[in-house]
Amino acid sequence: MSAVQDQAHTSQPAPGEVLLEVDNISLSFGGVKAIRDVSFDIRIGEVRAIIGPNGAGKTSMLNVINGFYHPQEGTITFAGKTRRNVRPYEAAASGIARTFQNVALFKGMSTLDNIISGRTLHMKTGFLWQLIHWGPAEREEIANRRKAEEIIDFLEIQHIRKTPVGRLPYGLQKRVELGRALAAEPKLLLLDEPMAGMNREEKEDMSRFILDVNSQFGTTIALIEHDMGVVMDLSDRVVVLDYGRKIGDGTPSEVRGNQDVIDAYLGVSH
Amino acid sequence: MELLTGIFVTPFVQMVTLPDFFLQVLWEGFVGGVLYALIALGFVLIFKASGVFNFAQGIMVVFAGLTLVGLHENGVPAYLALILTIGVMGLLAILVERFVMRPLVNQADIILLMATIGLTIFLIGLGEFIFGGEPKQMITEELGLPTGSTAIEIGSDGLLILQHIDIAAAVIAITMVAILGVFFNKTRIGRALRAVADDHQAALSVGISLNQIWAIVWFAAGIVALATGIMWGARSDVSFALEIIALKALPVLILGGFTSIPGAIVGGLIIGIGEKIGEIYWGPLMGGGIESWLAYMIALIFLLFRPQGLFGEKIIERV
Repeated sequence: MSAVQDQAHTSQPAPGEVLLEVDNISLSFGGVKAIRDVSFDIRIGEVRAIIGPNGAGKTSMLNVINGFYHPQEGTITFAGKTRRNVRPYEAAASGIARTFQNVALFKGMSTLDNIISGRTLHMKTGFLWQLIHWGPAEREEIANRRKAEEIIDFLEIQHIRKTPVGRLPYGLQKRVELGRALAAEPKLLLLDEPMAGMNREEKEDMSRFILDVNSQFGTTIALIEHDMGVVMDLSDRVVVLDYGRKIGDGTPSEVRGNQDVIDAYLGVSH
Repeated sequence: MELLTGIFVTPFVQMVTLPDFFLQVLWEGFVGGVLYALIALGFVLIFKASGVFNFAQGIMVVFAGLTLVGLHENGVPAYLALILTIGVMGLLAILVERFVMRPLVNQADIILLMATIGLTIFLIGLGEFIFGGEPKQMITEELGLPTGSTAIEIGSDGLLILQHIDIAAAVIAITMVAILGVFFNKTRIGRALRAVADDHQAALSVGISLNQIWAIVWFAAGIVALATGIMWGARSDVSFALEIIALKALPVLILGGFTSIPGAIVGGLIIGIGEKIGEIYWGPLMGGGIESWLAYMIALIFLLFRPQGLFGEKIIERV
């Protein structure tokens, strides 16, 4: 695991360079083709949106990137390392963190514990030290706790630090989930519909956090979103999928003018 | 009227008039409870980390006990046999993770439960194949466990007899529980275990390796099984009959909550003491032998009022 990480560190590209390159990815489940020959890239420091109608293959794409799905064809190049299949924890170790469409938090744990869990890969002490919970294990615990508190401050969720997340309202759960992903200090943050089901005010908060993460931490972000207004405001570049195919790629204004994209969203008369 | 007196008066009169006997019953119940708690602890470990009710915990107790005794019978010194048995339990954990758990990632809980039932049957077969079906004597003395007993005088003419092995069992159980409690609540691996229990996908996404966690947790459950096998084997024999006793862990878990280590202990003690006292003082009213089902009755009543158990995590489902 650490080998993967070391390699990732040494080949760290500079801002503006390509961080992730998706090359001719095809994914099918039995006879259903979820993704057909899709290629695009994500550059360092940008906010990249993936949009498309329901069933376009957006979430499948994220799942391929972070190793939940293994595509039949194509390769993914992340931070200079090319691979097709990767295990999810290896993807995490190489610096990819994510959130889920339907919040996937550790419901029995407090907000704080959830966020510290996000730092799993930054904690290295062995089984035995952990067992006696002393010396290096304790120092490490304190250091990581401090990091987690910084993220809690950043996301303005101090008041729910100790609350089991299962009891939190949906909007806050989404925020905690973002916090858990941030805690990993990822190179690439994948957000699967970070604003789904939120009201206007919550959406505005979340948009602000996403922009702050991008500008303050310099984190590269790929996000799936349905609210076109949000997409246009947040993202630097947009890739559009429809029925598993890429039908558009470019800046928000380019994509908005693309006839294929308009057809896919509004329907086309035959 | 006679029945009411039998239920509400006579047992308490007996308790007060023969306090030394009452204490002896309490002690027996306590020791039984500690052993139930140890078995329940094995269940809790695996349930916490994988959401799987490990039906095979009972047979793991037997298997660990048989391995230890079997190795010693074949001329391996006791302590070396103990270390080798720990190794065997580690190997078992790795194999279970590789060949049972890993192919079933993200499957429904019921499928994993079925898999552990399959594992139980497999281990029964393997155990009988290697060690034979006859009960074996636990190598209590060879392991340096105390065997004598102490008598404590109660009042003027009462006596309370404590078996040393029982005291040792209690001490070992309490130590294990303390270590595991800290481990689960305060450390990275403990947190990872809980994370895996809550959500496989989310756990993977933060970089937790399910394979590693499962191997660790099955190994820990194997160690607990070994301790249980030694302690229980020292009181009776090591035989496949022990596997059935492991089912007593069910009411303990219902009482204590499937995810709580302290719950396993408190639940174990309530069941252990409750069934002993029930058997001795109220059993004769029903012709005796109520010990075998009283635990389940206690659990059933409990289930009505506190389904998550005494210490279980109350998870609110949002619809």
